[in-house]
Amino acid sequence: MFALEFPPLSHIVDWPGLAGEGAWWEINKVVLVYAIAAFLTIMIFVLGSRRKELVPTGAQNLAEITVEFVEDGIARETMGEAGVKYTPMLISLFLFIFFTNIFEVIPIFQMPASARIALPLVLALFAYVVYHGAGFRAHGLGYIKHALVPPGVPFLLLFLVVPIEFVSKFLVQPFSHTVRLFANLLAGHILLVTFAVLTSGLFVLKPYLPLALLPMAGVVVFTAFEVFVSFLQAYVFTLLTGVYINAAQSHEH
Amino acid sequence: MRTFRLLLAALLVSLVAVVGSASAASASGESEATCLAEIASEEHFDPEHLTEDQDKAITACFQAPNPMVPEKNEVIWGAFGFFVVFGAIAKFGYPQIKKAMNERTERIRTDLETADNQKAEAERLAAEYQTKLADAKNESARIVEEARQTADGVRRQLEAKAQADIAEMRTQAAADIEAAKSQAMADLRGEVTALAIGAAEQVVQRNLNDDTNRALVEAYIQQVGASN
Repeated sequence: MFALEFPPLSHIVDWPGLAGEGAWWEINKVVLVYAIAAFLTIMIFVLGSRRKELVPTGAQNLAEITVEFVEDGIARETMGEAGVKYTPMLISLFLFIFFTNIFEVIPIFQMPASARIALPLVLALFAYVVYHGAGFRAHGLGYIKHALVPPGVPFLLLFLVVPIEFVSKFLVQPFSHTVRLFANLLAGHILLVTFAVLTSGLFVLKPYLPLALLPMAGVVVFTAFEVFVSFLQAYVFTLLTGVYINAAQSHEH
Repeated sequence: MRTFRLLLAALLVSLVAVVGSASAASASGESEATCLAEIASEEHFDPEHLTEDQDKAITACFQAPNPMVPEKNEVIWGAFGFFVVFGAIAKFGYPQIKKAMNERTERIRTDLETADNQKAEAERLAAEYQTKLADAKNESARIVEEARQTADGVRRQLEAKAQADIAEMRTQAAADIEAAKSQAMADLRGEVTALAIGAAEQVVQRNLNDDTNRALVEAYIQQVGASN
């Protein structure tokens, strides 16, 4: 009724190449976001470790807060003391995902790189290899039994439980790990685009101008919400990685 | 180090797996114009008489890419970006920050221990000074008491000596008085005797009668008494 034309999904997440169109190394907006996110993550640590003050400030403070947050809040929380060695990996996951997510609300970019499935998939598969690797390292080949056969299950039920555990742990788990991050960010992005398009459409149609305030408020509120989601999804992805590693290497069911 | 190798292997395996799965969808990242240009550049391409395959290919050019299929370039760059971040943090960033944090923890612990030690030392010194002060007070009190007792002793000694001296002097004086008195009495007796003898001689020499004798003696005694 407002003659609004909502862009197709491909237009809001699929970006044309800025260089090397069609090549394997094509650089588009998403790749640019990866680069800036990697740069920002590394810069926190470069600046944070340049001048080591007794009372940390600025980048050093940020780097230390991140290290403490991930080490105490994720690694120790999910895996105990044995999880501390995974801290650098978890910090990398957390910060890289957070920075690629936060571009959702950064003007001009306004594109979370995790709203494309490539990065969540790469990271989820990376985590998949890490946690199953940790399982095999802790239990040897007995890990397969550890992963598939829950203790205390009657023998006949195993015919039902083992296939379910296999599908759950070896097939669905990496998929859910990927989609949780990807779908949350994509949904947030679509939400913001919807409100923005609606605001713009109502703004152009003069008689409906006052109505534009509602979606405009929506853009503001959901932009703030997306900042929270960016953090939360980075945290959830990292936390789950810790939980999966712990489940794989733990000696108790 | 083993963990690092495991993580590195994980990254490589996941990268290979995703790139492998992404290859089929690699064309979806191309723009519509590029897609159409590729079809148009094929041999036997006639816009008026499209083959069935060409028609399908042209339709595919206008279809939105499946969002569930990863783009090869994004997979490669995403993995590369994460690999760089992970390598930098695992090798340099995390150890550096952790080292700074541990050094701070160690320094604070050392400072606190030093402060505790110094406090204990200060308390020990204060207690020692208190003890010394109390000892000094006791010592001074003892010295004062001792001096007081010594002074008392000296005073008592002097008093006793003075009393003894006084007593001795009194005794001496009494003895002297007694001696003087005895001497005086002896002298008086000698004098009286001499006088009596003298009076007697007078009596004898004048041979007076009894009344005369008596008168003479009395006169003499009065004379003596008047002269004393």
